Formats: sequence, C-alpha cells, structure tokens
Amino acid sequence: MIGDIFLELSVRSVKLNFTRSLLASIGIVIGVVAISTMGMLGTNMALQVEDQLSASANTIVITADAIRMGPPGMGSSSSSSSSSGISKTQLNKIKTAVGENGTVIPLYSTTTQFTSGNIQGRGTIYGMNPADVNEFLTIGNGTNIAGMNQALIGLTLAESMGLDVGDRIKISSASEGPPTNASSSSSRATVTIVGIVDPRGTTSDSVSSDNGIIVSKEWYTAQYGGKDQYTQVNVLVDDTDMISEIEEEINTLVNTDKKTQSIRISDASSQLDTISETLSTLTLFCLAIGGISLVVAAVSIFNVMMMSVNERVQEIGILLSIGTETGEVRRMFLYEAFILGILGAGMGGLMSIVIGYSVVDAMIGTTEYFFMPASIFYVPVGMCVGLVVCVLSGVYPAWRASNMDPIDALRSD
Amino acid sequence: MSDTPLIRLVDVTKTYHLESGDFVALDCVSLDIRENDFVAIMGPSGSGKSTMMNQLGILDVPTSGNLYIDGNDVAKMSNVERTHLRRDTIGYIFQKFYLIPLLSAYENVEYPLILKNKTRDTTGRTSAMLDAVGIDREKSEHRPNQLSGGQQQRVAIARALVNDPKILLCDEPTGNLDRKTGYQIMEILCNLQREGKTVILVTHDPKVAEYAERTIRLEDGRIAEET
Repeated sequence: MIGDIFLELSVRSVKLNFTRSLLASIGIVIGVVAISTMGMLGTNMALQVEDQLSASANTIVITADAIRMGPPGMGSSSSSSSSSGISKTQLNKIKTAVGENGTVIPLYSTTTQFTSGNIQGRGTIYGMNPADVNEFLTIGNGTNIAGMNQALIGLTLAESMGLDVGDRIKISSASEGPPTNASSSSSRATVTIVGIVDPRGTTSDSVSSDNGIIVSKEWYTAQYGGKDQYTQVNVLVDDTDMISEIEEEINTLVNTDKKTQSIRISDASSQLDTISETLSTLTLFCLAIGGISLVVAAVSIFNVMMMSVNERVQEIGILLSIGTETGEVRRMFLYEAFILGILGAGMGGLMSIVIGYSVVDAMIGTTEYFFMPASIFYVPVGMCVGLVVCVLSGVYPAWRASNMDPIDALRSD
Repeated sequence: MSDTPLIRLVDVTKTYHLESGDFVALDCVSLDIRENDFVAIMGPSGSGKSTMMNQLGILDVPTSGNLYIDGNDVAKMSNVERTHLRRDTIGYIFQKFYLIPLLSAYENVEYPLILKNKTRDTTGRTSAMLDAVGIDREKSEHRPNQLSGGQQQRVAIARALVNDPKILLCDEPTGNLDRKTGYQIMEILCNLQREGKTVILVTHDPKVAEYAERTIRLEDGRIAEET
C-alpha cells in the first residue's frame, strides 16, 4: 500500500486501463528513443572527429597566402620560386620564433598522377626531410626513406592500388594535368616503396598521408623544382598551452616584413571550432526531429488523460462532495500523467540504449564513444524531456477535473 | 448544548439562470435546525429538496440570503474553508451510495480520515466504524461492486461517520434498498440521532419520514408545511 491515497488512486486507475495507458506511453517511448538516439548519434560523430583532430592538436600549420602548386613539367627549374611559397628566410624566422619549444617541419606538396603496372592513380605527393617523418607519422611496415628514389605511401592508397613494400611506382613530373603516356617516359620518375605509413584518419595538419606518397625533399625539388619555396611548414609544439604564444611570435617575426609575402597561421582548435559548430547544428536539427515525435506523444497522453477525466466525472464529484480539496483532485490526475510518463520514459530509456547503440554502430562504424558521459547523457535527458512532456500534457485535464462543479459531477451518470 | 441553531437559513434564495429564463429553486426559505434534531424534508419533484440538500451540504451557496452552518456564514467562506467545513462537520449519505469504485470498503471509510489527518489511519477508528455498521473484516476488503446495496449503504454510513461530524445529511438513504434493509438502515440512523448526531434526510417515502421528529414539506421552493 502506497502512503499517498491519491497516488494509490492514480496507480489503480492506470492498472484498470492498462492497455490504453500502455499504448499512450508508446508515444513517449518513441519520443524518448528519437531524442536520445539523435543526440547520441550527433555526439558520437563530434567525439570521433574531435578525437581524430586532437591527435594533431599540437600542430601549427603555416602556409603562404597564395600557395604555389608547382610548375608543370618544370624539372629542376626554379624560375617561379620567387612567386609564392614559404621562403628559406621565412622558414628561418619561423625556426627562430619556435626556438626550443617545438619542431619545425617544412613540407613540399603537390597533387600528381602515378602508375604502378597498369593501374593509374592520383594523389598528393609530399617532399620532406626523411628525419622529420617519424616526428608525426608512423611507419607500420618497412623502413624510412634512406635514398633518393625511395618513397613511403599511405596504407589506404597502398590497399586501393594493391601496393606493398618493394613495389615500384612511376610518378609524373607534372604536378597536375592529363596522364602522360609511355611516349613521354622521360617526364616520369620511378620510386621504390620502402615503407607503408599507418592511417591517421581526419587530421588538422593538412597532410593527407593516408592517400599520399612521401618522398625526400631532394627528390621532390629535383622532380618539381621550387627549391626552398615550401608549400607549408608544420610546427609540432611541445606544450599545447604555448600554441597561441608561438603563433603570435611567428606572426610578429614573419608578417611584419612588408617586403615578403605574408603567411597564414592556423591550428586544430580553429578547425575544431568550425567542425564542432557544424555538428552542433546538425545534432540540434536531429533533436528537433525527435522532438516532433514527442509533440505527437503529448497529444496522445492528453487524449488519454481527458478520457480518464471524462470516465471518472462521478468519482470526481464524490471526492469533491466528501471534502477533497481541488488541489488534491488536481494532484491525483497529475500523478496519473506522471505514472504514464515514468512508464514511457523508463521503457524509452532502456530502448534508447539498445537502439542508440545499434544506430551509432551502423552510422559511425564504432561504438567506442557510446558510453562516454557526453553521449550516454542523452538517455536521461530524453527520459526527463519525455516525463516533463507527459506531466505537462496532464495539466489541463487535471485542472478541468479539479474545477468541476461537484453537484453536476454527481449527477453525471 | 447552546441555543444557537446548528444550521440557520435566513431568507435563502437560489436562482438558476437558464436559457428559458430564471428558475427560482428556493424562494426566501428561513429555517433553524438545532443540534440533535431529526428532520425529514419532503416534497414533490422540483419542489427544491435537492437544492436545499446542496445548500445544507455546502456544495452550493445561496444566490441571496444567509446560510449559517455551525456558526459559519457560508457565503463569506473561501472554497478551501467550505471544503474543510464539509469534511469535518457534515457526513453525506447518498441514495446511490457513491462509494469510490477504485477503493476497498475499508479504504472508502478511511478516506475522509486521510483527508483530515493527511496520513493513513493507525488508530483503528476505520475498523471500529465498519464494525458499528455491521461490515466484517472480510467484507471490508471488497471493492464496492462486490458488495450488496445494503452493505454499500452501511459502508457509506461508516464513511459519513468516521470524522465524527455533527450533521448527517441523508439523500433518500433507503431509495435503492429493499424494505427490510431500508428498515435496518433507518434503525442505524435513529441510533445515531440518539447518540447526539443531527440527522437531516430527504425522502419521498412517508414511512421513512415517520422516523423524524420534524417534517418540512417543500413546494415550489418554499416551506409549505412544517410538522
């Protein structure tokens, strides 16, 4: 026996019309599942992206305002070297600005075409000092570049082209443009794959190593020219708290020189902000869709509560005529709405975990972040929203019941 | 016992505003009912008996005139105060029993005590009331629809008495019962009046009215005769 007689009356009323109550609660179940699942899906997406970006959170990416992609077929010519890219002078200033607080990695890059046997491919080729490779990449299979005609390739590219350590690829000397035929073999250089780079997923350091080819800077400049005109310079900062300070120092040292081209400085946090904002908007949109189902559920609960009030008019008349206060009658019907809410939110919460887990697994491909507080938090949120919607749906029926004229109510049969 | 009437009606008028025009259900009725009175109110249909009962039961307030219950001017009281006065001073016994269908007989009797004390009855008063009206422990666990008409009315009387009210308002208390059971119910009411309760009953049945010490006959909303 429950202590509160009005709660007891509400429980018995729900039990008496259990099927009807259960059906009304299913609306709340759907609403709770929709809100929780959509929220968890959005959060899991955001967490995954944040996690991938945070792997390069210590990286400052410096590019020239107008990036030179490399002159097609220019060989070792450096005639355009003064047009763009980060110059050696600027690189030295960057190194001065960074000092002992990090590692400066200058990179050349361009998009090019290459062939391996009969298979043609297209991707980004990076030229860098082999000693810098292990600073931010992991060679999963093979060794680092040790000679002029050696290259590393990303695992994704290796798998898609069926390449392995020891295979050879021919790389076009044209940075972009139509594939060259065998007749122009003089414009192609052959490199041997000495290592496969582990995948990194989405990164913020502008190095798409998963689909890229990495060669030595000497080989790159011999092939594409542009010596000492770097496409980008990455700075791996030892202490991420110092990023802003170092960026400011680089900006002061390099961008104040009016005679040289200005550089653009960015880091993971600015990219993360943009992506997080986009994902938040997406999550909010998904939550709004889930919210619509709760509106439908609210109408269903309202309907059931009105039915309950209309069926119990005489009972309400009895209660009022023998000394029950209007507030107590109101409370009795709000309890009933609350019980329907508990029923719906409880079932919805359990189903949210099961359905949400399946949806996240199917849509994102990993449930690694599912049980993290920021994600699982949406289950109690969905349940609370469902419960509040349910109780709010009962406010008018409860008010109507408590404001009945007891004389009319008693005569109602 | 004081000289002040327990119930006093002074020129009480109740008018209903209908689409077809105003209908005067009670027309300047003045009446005193003293403590421990046994009053029967009789009259044909539409004479104002039910309206009178609603006024005496504080379910309604007069359109004009004054109604005093236990010294309180009903028109000057708030809704909550009227509810509390009804709960503590008046026990209502209806023709159709009007027990709460979701509660057992015991819980129906206990209900007014819970309203008053805001807690379940641990004093044994509910069981005592049920014993007094002849409902045993086994029957007290039953829901109203599992009880006979006579048993339901006994439970309704126990419910009306559990808060020890001064006034018992009985609206055709034997109307839905067979003659024998009706007689038993009237005997219970007579005993209660002998024990000090003020009993007011509305009835069509002259034989039931014979139990009362005073009979008031209403016609067209006015007191036509008082014996």
